[in-house]
Amino acid sequence: MSGAGTAIVTGAAGGLGGRIRERLAAVGHDLLLVDLDPAVEDVAAAAGARAVVADLTKMEGVGAVLDAAGDDVAVLVNNAGITRDARATKMSEADFAAVIEINLVAAMRLTLALEPRYRDGAAVVNMSSRASLGNFGQANYSASKSGLVGFGRALAQRWAPRVRVNAVAPSLVDTPMTRAMPPDVLAKMVARIPAGRIGTPDDVAGIVAFLASPEAGYITGQVLFACGGRSVAP
Amino acid sequence: MLRPGSVGDDLDAVTPALTEAFAEVREALEAGRPVAVVVDARDLLGQGLPLDAAVATGLLGMVRTLGIEGAKPGWGVNLVAGGEGDEAAVEETVAMLAGSSLTGQLLQVGGANLGKVVP
Repeated sequence: MSGAGTAIVTGAAGGLGGRIRERLAAVGHDLLLVDLDPAVEDVAAAAGARAVVADLTKMEGVGAVLDAAGDDVAVLVNNAGITRDARATKMSEADFAAVIEINLVAAMRLTLALEPRYRDGAAVVNMSSRASLGNFGQANYSASKSGLVGFGRALAQRWAPRVRVNAVAPSLVDTPMTRAMPPDVLAKMVARIPAGRIGTPDDVAGIVAFLASPEAGYITGQVLFACGGRSVAP
Repeated sequence: MLRPGSVGDDLDAVTPALTEAFAEVREALEAGRPVAVVVDARDLLGQGLPLDAAVATGLLGMVRTLGIEGAKPGWGVNLVAGGEGDEAAVEETVAMLAGSSLTGQLLQVGGANLGKVVP
């Protein structure tokens, strides 16, 4: 076990999760990588980390993480999430519920279950989204990511000063999912970002690492928009 | 007007609360009726129970998206937040919204939000 304590990252098999785990490993955290995708085991083996393949929408999945987490959790990054986009008029209630359950409720379930395991000065970082402010075709996703902000605000007040809780709200990030978008659609979306480019996993991972670090020791209950200015642009 | 109740500490109640609210709001909007979702201002600011805060702010995100999607068909969907003692102001605001072209907005009545972060 490292002096920096354990850092748990969910959704750790993906590209963004990968950069987050690298940043946290660089400051000495003992990494516990969690994903529904069994590929997380190979990722963890390559990174010298431990892995748990778990469905966090189920208590058994949360239990598996608790079994592996130990009693010195310094960082939890709730990064797992899905999309099921559609206009509200076409969106099924099942798709609405699935996004809420995975993006919001599963994150809340794990965060709360870990309460006795956090060390003094621990940090929870929730992956919200610029879409929490509203986004066409994403009533479910907007609700889930906005819900994470409120949950974090409440926990920040309830758990202070022992544990800090903050959120990062990225916009478009360069991942396999965005690279699969039609180029003309992607270009239109990037044109609305004042920074003039899509975000990189590093852009987001650096902010996660900062919020998880002692340098952010006086920051709690906040949301940091890492969106190239998209949240203030027309 | 839609005013969801507290989910308390029941994690299993969060998804049904938000999904039922979505279905109810959508049905009203598609029928041409304006909708005001009412939440407790303390929940919006995270000053109450964590799961109630998640539902309140989740509803805000949903309302903002429905406001964007409903611009063309002319949907009127907004969120009103008031605290203890603000009941009359909330009712007045909801009545005002019924005849308004506002949509996708957060209207905070009372003073609970003053000096606080904008949700």
